[in-house]
Amino acid sequence: MGREIGAGRTSPSMVRRSASLLRRWGAGGGKSSLHSHLRWAGFFFVLPALIHLVIFKFYPMLQAFRLSFFRYDLMSPPVFTGLENYKLLWENPLFHQSFWVSVKYMFGVSIPEWFFALGLALLLNRRMPGRAVIRLAYFFPIAMSQIVVAMVWKFMYHPFGLVNTILETFGIGRINWLSMEESALPALIAIGIWRGIPLFGVIYLAGLQAIPKEYHEAAIIDGAGVFQRFFYVTIPLLLPTIMFVMVLSLLSAVKVFLNPLVMTEGGPNGTTRVLPYFIYETGFAFFRMGEAAAASMVLFVFLFGLTLIQLRLLRRGGVE
Amino acid sequence: MRRFLMTQLLVGMVTALLWNPAFAQQRITWWEHSNPPHNNYSKDLVAEWNKKNPKTPVQYDFFAMTPYFQKLTAALSTRSAADMFTLIDFLLPGFTAKKVLAPIRPEWLGYKDLEDMKKAYIPGALDGYIHEGKLYAIPPIASGFSLFINRKHFKEAGLDPDKDYPRTWEDVGRIGKKLVKMRGSRMVREGFDFAMHSSTWTMWYFNTTIRQYGGEVLDSSGKKCTANSEAGVKAMNVRARIAHHYKASDPTVSFGTNALPADDIPKGRVSMFITHAGSVAQFGPKMMKDLKVVPFPQVDPKNPVTPIYGFALAVNPHISEAKQKIVHAVLKHVVNDSKTWYERTSYPHPDKNFLNLPGMEEARTKRYLGVFVKDISNGRFLQRSDKILELNQAIHRAMERVVLKKEDSRKSLDRACKEIDAALAKK
Amino acid sequence: MSRKTMLRLGGALISVLTVGGVVVMLLPYFWMVSSSIKTGIEVFDLPIKWIPDEIQWVNYPNALTKGAFGVYFFNSFVVAFAVMAGNLVFCTLAGYGLAKFRFPHRELCFRLILSTLMLPLEIVLVPTFLVVRELGLVNTYGGLIAPLAVDAFGVFLMRQSIRDIPDSLIEAARMDGCSEFGIFWRIILPNCKPALGALALLAFRDNWDQFLWPFIVATTDDLKTFPLGLAQMEGIDSAAYHEIMALAVLGMIPAAFIFLFFQRAFVRGITLTGLKE
Repeated sequence: MGREIGAGRTSPSMVRRSASLLRRWGAGGGKSSLHSHLRWAGFFFVLPALIHLVIFKFYPMLQAFRLSFFRYDLMSPPVFTGLENYKLLWENPLFHQSFWVSVKYMFGVSIPEWFFALGLALLLNRRMPGRAVIRLAYFFPIAMSQIVVAMVWKFMYHPFGLVNTILETFGIGRINWLSMEESALPALIAIGIWRGIPLFGVIYLAGLQAIPKEYHEAAIIDGAGVFQRFFYVTIPLLLPTIMFVMVLSLLSAVKVFLNPLVMTEGGPNGTTRVLPYFIYETGFAFFRMGEAAAASMVLFVFLFGLTLIQLRLLRRGGVE
Repeated sequence: MRRFLMTQLLVGMVTALLWNPAFAQQRITWWEHSNPPHNNYSKDLVAEWNKKNPKTPVQYDFFAMTPYFQKLTAALSTRSAADMFTLIDFLLPGFTAKKVLAPIRPEWLGYKDLEDMKKAYIPGALDGYIHEGKLYAIPPIASGFSLFINRKHFKEAGLDPDKDYPRTWEDVGRIGKKLVKMRGSRMVREGFDFAMHSSTWTMWYFNTTIRQYGGEVLDSSGKKCTANSEAGVKAMNVRARIAHHYKASDPTVSFGTNALPADDIPKGRVSMFITHAGSVAQFGPKMMKDLKVVPFPQVDPKNPVTPIYGFALAVNPHISEAKQKIVHAVLKHVVNDSKTWYERTSYPHPDKNFLNLPGMEEARTKRYLGVFVKDISNGRFLQRSDKILELNQAIHRAMERVVLKKEDSRKSLDRACKEIDAALAKK
Repeated sequence: MSRKTMLRLGGALISVLTVGGVVVMLLPYFWMVSSSIKTGIEVFDLPIKWIPDEIQWVNYPNALTKGAFGVYFFNSFVVAFAVMAGNLVFCTLAGYGLAKFRFPHRELCFRLILSTLMLPLEIVLVPTFLVVRELGLVNTYGGLIAPLAVDAFGVFLMRQSIRDIPDSLIEAARMDGCSEFGIFWRIILPNCKPALGALALLAFRDNWDQFLWPFIVATTDDLKTFPLGLAQMEGIDSAAYHEIMALAVLGMIPAAFIFLFFQRAFVRGITLTGLKE
């Protein structure tokens, strides 16, 4: 057990040989017509998406980048100010606070998501009575409209609300979740996790379903137990999905915006003012779009760096 | 760079003209924030107008409250905003400074000039919309805050709600203390509270109290923060004393009840609460039976200062003068009937004769309109500044530090002023 | 304890955890549904009464008259389906190209695509709006749909799952003289059904619930989507929460149906992904 499977996600060795052959064709500087044909085929598959992204994503992103060097109140013409916006940010303690709030929120939400979502997917991948209904039940948090999420949880966290009612039944005192510096961010993190688990659970579930049954069957024949199968079959084969979830959970958590806007206005004392909220506020409430753009660039560089590091680590781990 | 922007703008404007059939038909567009009573009444007003003026019909649309101003800003920025739109008073300085509002022409509304127009309104009710001598929006609302008290709770505590209601902030603390209900160490009923779920509400309270002590948030030039003055510290202490000295309120509740800031009073979870005239209709006559409305608490009841705010209608400056004239006619149509306005939306109208109109007796006695209008006529708008939202947030954070973490008022305000001065220094 | 009893105990524990988890996950829904059948005053009553004395089914028809909800629902359907379709097509194509081909600057391409996930919408809102305006798409279905039709999220998801498909399958088809698109159609698509199911589901859900972008682009009532209609039920300082919750319950039904529909893709996926095919 583990000789073939544990080595990676490749199938029998013959397959691997032909695959590596193909790879060599693609990578080598050969003159074969197949090579250039494949080259262009690959590019053409990506092209439609790329054209779309150039128009609707890259161009606006470049505009945002450009604006980060301008003073721009959205309504008067932009004035070039060089690095002034970045300097203002550096000197602004509220920006520093926001950055760290975002970092805390991002990891606070995504790390539990990685584990809980995998657990949920493993659970729902089992055969059990009423599986469809249970799956639907767990899926529900992502079907709830984000506007309603904010409304419902605002009430759940009300000083006299549902969460405190439950705590009081268990003899734990009332906590004023959204108005204490210590509890406001954890309260928002809990909502993020609640909503994120099913989302990434679905993705894990799809990943688990894609693992060919034969691998598990082979492992069972080899006498592997549940845990061995989990560590030597499931995890290695699930690695691309795990990588996806690790990268995407961070990127989606960091964009949270509506909940702090509606539930806490970034308070108390700025402890829930995540960076997107800072950006929104600076741009649209304080009319300093240039500064907001500069803040976005800082966020962009941070996230891009983080993602590249993740991709690299995972590549070293044998995924890529 | 500049040229590129200009071309962009030009292309945009040309396309806007080409595919906007409104231009050819002189269709007027009107945007408003969502607030169901207003929206319903506005729709009826528009239907009425369209019946009478089929050649210049109004297309009315309203948008969710929270991001409405963002939509408006994005639209003004890209020159795709409606011909007329609703704004809240304290955002006006920001917009007028950027010249995205057209001045209102009193002569097109049937007044001789601005002075003449002012005479038709409650004194001071237009002040919030005037910038450098010109009016930039017409308010159909003049809303202020008054104190709601629970008659039952007063009687339970052996107090007479008609005589013993608080006049000053010290009264609020003293009486509030008697109204508090505890279960063990937990406050299950607050004696008094003021909604602090949003920085704007905090500022309405703080700005008013600092004025009651004779101070201001900014100096007369509007370039320097004076919130950490003696008056500011006293104003901050008012809120701190009610929470910490009199223990009449649980501050974590008023910062946290943002689900419905004014919902705790009809539910009996607080005995005295400050909110506006619109709440009367919101609570409904059944609940109002147990409640009474009294004037906004003062430092010195002989020199009253209260907060006032309003939503107002502004005109898009990018439309032709001819069209602006038609928009003025629409504006006049919208703000004309102050009594129906009040009956439909439950917000007071700034019309000078509003209170004495025939048929208002019931509203004056049963719905406390007299109290509200009296407070409104003592009202002063929030500090005018194009950086007002930053001011609000700095003061809100200071209030949070003082009330939630018992930080020293002066120290907290010093920090707020530092933040405000930094914001004011930015262009 | 024998191995069997241990397994049985473990199974029981898992069942208990499953049910317990369901309750925690669903608590907010119970409150939502319960609020939707109360009177406005009862909604925030404490302690909570889960089932009101008099059930107010009338909230549902009443709420639907508070806006052109038929239109909003229709618009949300159009937008969610169109965006879902766009994502399924373009993201899968791109994911395949990135996963199974080597072409110059492939990694750069991939990173550029990923980079679009790293700026918050708030900051690209105005530039994107300008693009849409220049294309003449403000306040049109095109404007609501086009900017969302491809999402790097989908590209990344499809790239990851297509990587799992053994190269041997593709190579065998190529040897048989299958065209590149034929390979995509006959080998790739059937073999990434679970991921396609997940993508379809999430794309539908996300765009059914899309808020900020439609809010900026739609300026008339006939183009508003369901979340916009829902959000505008909230006033400055009051809201008919019982009716909002009734609408929220109705608004979840389509997403729930889509889930039930696509979850079959996960189950079916097993039999189709085998190497033996």
